[in-house]
Order: sequence, then C-alpha cells, then structure tokens
Amino acid sequence: MADLKITGLHKYYGSVHAVKGVDLEIPAGEFTVLVGQSGCGKSTLLRTIAGLEDADQGNIEIGGELMNHVLPRDRDIAMVFQNYALYPYMTVFENIAFGLRARKTPAAEIAPKVRRAAQMLAIEPLLERYPRQLSGGQLQRVAIGRAIVRNARLYLFDEPLSNLDAQLRDEMRGEIKRLHQELGKTMIYVTHDQIEAMTMADRIVLLRDGKIEQAGAPLDLYERPATRYVAGFLGSPAMNFVPTRLQDGGALAVQLADGGLLALPASRQGKLEGRRGQEITLGVRPEHITRASGELRQGLVRHTALIELVQPTGSRTYATFRLGGAEMVAELQAHDVSQPGETIELAIDMNRVVLIDPATELVVS
Amino acid sequence: MRLSLRLGAAVAITLFFLFPIYWLFMISFKTPDEIFSYPPKWYPSHLQLGNYAVLFKDGDAIAVWHSLVVAGGSTLIAMFLGTICAYSLARFKTGGEHLANWIISQRMVPPIAVVFPIFLLYVWLGWVDTYVGVILLYTAFNLPYVIWMMRGYILDIPLALEESALVDGCTRWQVIWRVVFPMCRAGLFATAIFTFVFAWNEFLFALVLTRTEVVTYTVQVTFYFGGQSNFWAKISAMSVLGTLPIFIVVAFMQRYLVRGISLGAVKG
Amino acid sequence: MAQASAPRQADFADRNFKYFLVGPSIFVLLIIGIFPLVYLLVVSFQGMTMTETDTGFVGLRNYAHLFHDKRLWEALLHTVIFTAIALPLELVLGLAMAQLFVDRLPGRAVFVALLVLPVVVSPIVSGSTWSLLFDNRFGPINQIIGWFAGREVPLLWTINPSLVYPAILAAEVWQWTPFMFLLLLAALANVDKSQLEAAAIDGASWWRTFFRIVLPAIWPVMAVAILIRGLDLFRLFDIVWALTKGGPGTMTETISIFTYVKGFQQFETSYTAAVALLIIVLLSVVVFAALKRVALAR
Repeated sequence: MADLKITGLHKYYGSVHAVKGVDLEIPAGEFTVLVGQSGCGKSTLLRTIAGLEDADQGNIEIGGELMNHVLPRDRDIAMVFQNYALYPYMTVFENIAFGLRARKTPAAEIAPKVRRAAQMLAIEPLLERYPRQLSGGQLQRVAIGRAIVRNARLYLFDEPLSNLDAQLRDEMRGEIKRLHQELGKTMIYVTHDQIEAMTMADRIVLLRDGKIEQAGAPLDLYERPATRYVAGFLGSPAMNFVPTRLQDGGALAVQLADGGLLALPASRQGKLEGRRGQEITLGVRPEHITRASGELRQGLVRHTALIELVQPTGSRTYATFRLGGAEMVAELQAHDVSQPGETIELAIDMNRVVLIDPATELVVS
Repeated sequence: MRLSLRLGAAVAITLFFLFPIYWLFMISFKTPDEIFSYPPKWYPSHLQLGNYAVLFKDGDAIAVWHSLVVAGGSTLIAMFLGTICAYSLARFKTGGEHLANWIISQRMVPPIAVVFPIFLLYVWLGWVDTYVGVILLYTAFNLPYVIWMMRGYILDIPLALEESALVDGCTRWQVIWRVVFPMCRAGLFATAIFTFVFAWNEFLFALVLTRTEVVTYTVQVTFYFGGQSNFWAKISAMSVLGTLPIFIVVAFMQRYLVRGISLGAVKG
Repeated sequence: MAQASAPRQADFADRNFKYFLVGPSIFVLLIIGIFPLVYLLVVSFQGMTMTETDTGFVGLRNYAHLFHDKRLWEALLHTVIFTAIALPLELVLGLAMAQLFVDRLPGRAVFVALLVLPVVVSPIVSGSTWSLLFDNRFGPINQIIGWFAGREVPLLWTINPSLVYPAILAAEVWQWTPFMFLLLLAALANVDKSQLEAAAIDGASWWRTFFRIVLPAIWPVMAVAILIRGLDLFRLFDIVWALTKGGPGTMTETISIFTYVKGFQQFETSYTAAVALLIIVLLSVVVFAALKRVALAR
C-alpha cells in the first residue's frame, strides 16, 4: 500500500475550472471518501489520480514518486467504475483475470488469484457465467473482484454503488468496509451520498466547486463543521438554519425575527463577545430538538410549537414547525406527535447549536 | 391493407425483382444455340455447364480470382487502417472537425475525375495492371466509408471499458485489440461486407488500371461485348461466376448487411 | 507491491499515439486525395494532348473551350435527366415497398434477404442482364409485349433513341430501389409507435398520419439516402456503359462517360483535366448546398 500526496492541483475542461488548487495528503492504508455534489470536481480529482486525465497544474505523488507523466497502467493502481465496466464478451473469470493477463502474469498463477478474489466477494459460483446473466449487485462484486485481484497499492472507487437500489447499497457499503479492514490497502472512494461518506470513511474530504471545503474524520466534520456548507451537507435530515441576531446587552442569547429569545450557554461567551448586536445564523440539527419532559438540563431551552407536517419513519417521527418564522424539523420519538395541528413542548439543545457568520458562511462557534 | 393482400403483393414484388437474376442464371445454363432460339424459352431444356467449362478452359475464370485478391486485400487493409484511424478520431478527436470533414469529403470525390491522374501516376510508377496498384486505389476509396462507419460504432462503446483496461495494465494497442475490436464486432462485419462488395463490383478503375494481368471479373464481362453481337453465353456465365460468391457471402452475413445499411443511415 | 525502480514515464510514442493511428490512413488518402487535385490543376492549364506533349502554360484556353463544348453540356444534361427521373422513382417505390413490409408479415426476413440481391450485383452485371432482357429478338421483354400486342414487337431498346432512356432507367431503378427500400424499412420501423397510436385514437386518416407524423420522423434517413443515391447517379457510368456505351451516338452519354472518352479514347489530356476539375467543383457546390439544407432542416 502507498500514501498519496497531492499539491496545488488544477484541472481545466476547456474554460471550466474543475479543480481549483487542491492540496491533499492521505496516509497509507486509510479509507478516504471524496464527497460533494455533482460537479464539485470529485470525479475529476479521482480520474486525475488514476492518470485518466492529466493535471494542468500541480503534482501527484504516490508512494513518494511523482506520477504526473506516468501512464495509468504503470501507477500500480486499481479502479472500480460506476457502471462496472465489465466486458460482456468474457466470462466472470476472464473479466477478473483480465488485468493479470494484460500484465503477462504466468498462467499458473492466474487461476488461484482469481479464485481467492472471488471467494472474498462470495462470487465463486459465478465464475463461468457471463455479465448479462448477473444482477446489479453481482456485477458490482465482479468489478470489485477485478480490482482486488491485482494486489495494487492504491484503490480508487468512482461512485460504485450509485446504480444499485437502496437495500443493495446498504449491504454493499458494509462489504466494502469489511474488505478494507481485511486488505488494509489505501482506498479513495468518490460518492455524492453523505451516508456512504459517514459510514465508510476513515477520513472525509468534502469538495465544493473544485476546492476542499473541509477534511477530517467523519464525526469531526459532523460535530465541528467549519462552514455552513459542511454543516448543511452532512446529516439527514439536514441541519436547520434560522437567521437571528445576537442580543446586544444582557445575557448571551439570540433574538429571533418574531422577538423570541433563545439563551446560549455561558461557555460560548468567549467566541461571541465581539459579535454582540450582529446578525448571526443559528444552525440546529433535528436530533437536537426533542420533546421537553420535566425539568430541562443545562443549556436546553423550551419552545412551544405548532406542528405543520408529520413524517413518520417507523423508529422516529420528523415534525415540521416554525421557529422565528423559519421552517424547522425536529426529530421526535415515534409516537410523540401524530397529527399536524397539534401543539408540543420542544427542548432545543443550545449546547450543540452552531453559529454561523452570515457574510462569510464560516462557523464561529 | 389486409394481410393476404399484402402478402400477395410482397410475393409479386419479390418475384419481379428476382426475375432478371433468374434470367441471367438461366441463360448461363443454356447452350449457345438454345440462347439464340426464337421465341426465347424461359427455362433451359437441360442444365448444362458448358459455358462455364469454356471459361475455365480459356483461363478467363481467373478473373474471379483476381477480383477476390483485389477486393479481399483492399478490404482487409482498409478495415484495419480505417478502424484504428476511426478510434483516434472517436476517442481523441484527433484533427478536430477539419480532419473529420476532410475525410468525409474524400468519399464524395467522383472517381471519373480522379482516375485520369491516377492512371498517369501509375504509368510512371509501373503500377498499371498490378495487384498493388489496384488494391491501393480501392483501399483509398474505401477508407472514408470505413472511418465514417467505425467511428460511429466506436462512439457507442462505453468509455469506462477502455479506461478500466488502461488502469488494469493494457497498453493503448492492447485496449484496441482486446476491448474495442471485440466490442464492435458487429459493426466490423457489416462495414467489411459493404467494403468488400463495393470493391468486388467496381468497374471504372478496374477498366482503366488493368490490362491483361489482373483483370477483374467486371472488366472481363465487358470483353465479351461485341460490336454487332454479344457473346451472351460467356457474358452470362462470367456474370454468374462473379455474382455467385457475393450471393453466398450475403446469404451468410444477411443480418449484418441489413443492420449495416440501416445503421449507416441513422448514424449519417 | 514495491516498485523495483522509478515508474516508467510516458514517452514520445505514448503521447503521440493518436497521430500514429491516423497517419497511415491520411497518407493513403493523400495519394488519392491531394495528388490528383494538384495534378489536374496544373495540367488543365497546359496544352497536352495525344499528339502534343507541350507542357507549356496555355492560360485558360482549356476552360474557355469548356464553355463552348456542346457535347459536354449535353452530357451534363443527360446526367441530370437520369438523376431527376431515377431518384424520385427509387424513393417513391422504395417507400411504398417499405410501407408494405413494415407491418407484421410472415416470412419478412426471407423477402428482405431476397430483395437485397439486386443491390449487391455489380452495375455492369445489372446492365448486361437488362441488355439480355431487352434483346430485340431473344429477350423476354419484347416477348411479353408481343403477347399483349398479338404480334412480334422487336423493339431495339438499346439503339432506338426513344427507348434507350427507359431501358437504362429500368436497369438503374431495378437495381437501386431495394437499397432505398432497406433504408426506409429500417427508418419506418423506428417510428415511435405511441405517436401512431395516438393519431389513430384521434381519428386521423392514413394520409394525414403519413404526412404529419411518419414523413417527418423518417426524413433524416431519407435525406441521407437521397444524398448518397444522388451522388451516385451523378457519377453514373457502369450501367450505361453496359447497355449502350453512351449511344446511340452520344444520346445517353453521361458526364462520366464523356470524360472517359475524352481522356482514354481521344487522349486530350489537358482538356480532360479541365473537365475533371469542373466536375469536382460542380459536385462540391451541390453537396455543400445540400448539406446546408439538411443541417438547416434539423
């Protein structure tokens, strides 16, 4: 396995500046997820690492060696594609063996390697079949098998699960994570699905518009987002945002548009002193808005809400209400609310809210 | 329209179109006396291969072999060069619009305009009446068609298949051999058949560029045209000899041919 | 897997791979594409004929001669006549046949396979065959006409000035209508069925459906077919050569036959070059205009 280092990478497609100066260091053996919306440059970045595209500026080093002018086949990498990229005129065995044959691996070694890879992915019984006879999930396993059989030092995944239905996706997520644990190779995984990112990554790299918005461990990004974009991207349902103003004098609190006040815990005072009286965006995750019961802990504030919409998922129910005029979603127990029009006492955990400067979109606290 | 009516019309139309071919074959089996009997009979009194025997005895039948060498050779070369060129155009957009347009425009060149300078060039090179000369010319004339068609077929191949091969360890050549060629096999066949048939049936260039050594069957047939009378027996036998191989090829490759014609138009 | 040495950098061959692929094709095409044009251009301004090998510059003499050459313009006229009659005929007949075959028909594959045969026959063979059929004494056509007329009708199809055009057109249309048929059959088969069904429910007559829905849908294919066939008809040589050799006299001489005669029978080298260039220019103009129209129509 090898580490990856990217410095100052720029990539243009004609006049479109797809990757705008990316610096990234990935230690060997880590599972890194490049995540972001369509068009953020994550696939471009991956393909440049693979050598399928040339970088216009910047360096790519794998295992300490400069790779900019090295052909894909000489970079010792393996790649899994979104549409499987299996050869329809070859059997599953031949598909997996393809890379080995291309590199002139002795015939005697090919069969055992293919079988071992097939075993790891539970597709041994399918070796003599043709791709057209397989289901989506099976095809994806074959594609992964073709990648791992070569024992490369770096693995690239380009949205491999996008074409699978939800249930299969859940299953495959775990499989790929288990594969990483078994093989211990450096893996870079591209997806637009933040759930995949959260569950699979050792480290998430969130890309936006060709630049890295924030990089770090999943829970780091989740609990300590650096910008509004990161805060709103991770988490499902997404974080609630409401425009407020920091109260000028008196206790530390935010003022809502309708005049309501939400007190902030004293521990936040330091960061916010200089911003008294200024506008500030309040971000609250749905799971931090619960039903108030009995006496509230430190930092929780009470709010009476009229429920507008109810969306049960079975284990939880998401209820839509208004706070200071803004639409919010609360995550409640399954039976807390049953009908729109009901009133409920909510508790908002102000220990966990994020405060965002509306001008710079940076999280200040 | 009612099915039975349509079926009847279909049969009638097919018979009408096949009639001339039937007549040609039929004449070739008649003795020269029978051919010139009046009124003409619509079937030979007995099938005899005398006309064919004459062609073989006189050595004229070698013309079919010449046609095979020339058409086969030029098809193979054009298919190979044209397909790899098409690959470059399709995947790398080599030469951009200008190159692609120039190649297409070559197909529109009227042979009659070009045959004269080519003839003089060949005289100078000593290539008149040689395999090399004719094969090269046919190859050049078929290249635009091959490139045009194969480019369309190659564009239909998912790019990920080639990229995967590149990452797995294939050189660019290996990608072409192991991925591109197998994936567009149907297109290769259809285009090859067309190219072969065109070269096989070609007349004008063969007329100008052959003398005695590499006379193809189309030119050979015209040798039997007389000022006053035509040697119908030889004309028909030679025509059948030259047409039968094509019919056989077409029969075997039938599905590719039809697909090739229709796809050619759609992709155009 | 550790690299034993530094990874192989992409070399000259790798970077220029795409040029190596197009190189041979371009080279071959240049021989056929550029050289003749250059040659024609140069020679057409010289004074070479069978007798004079004068390579001196004679200005526009050959081109001036072009405009006064009655035979040349007649040849062009003949070519246009052939095209103007054969092309619509082939189109309409091919379309009619395609319409007949497109709906469910038992054994359609067999019919189509048989109807392909005229297309793959050499035009020389086609001309020769029809020459046979049209033979004034031993051809079946005169025989059939005779049955209807009740007496012998030894029509001289390949010599009688009133009959040569129909004869040539018969051979040409016979050979190429199936080509149109195949193309249009595929195009008709691809017409969106749901549109046809919607029209049927709306109560549209067959003609209305055909002109408003079917025709626009198959137009792209038709345009390509017309372009290809039109070009080929302009270059008409083989069929006419087999039937009449351009005769009687020069009545059926197409522009290609005219050029051939001038170059290879009368050996008027430079003049032929001028004629050849004229043909290229004419063709380019027509094709360019046609492509423009097609592009606009889209």
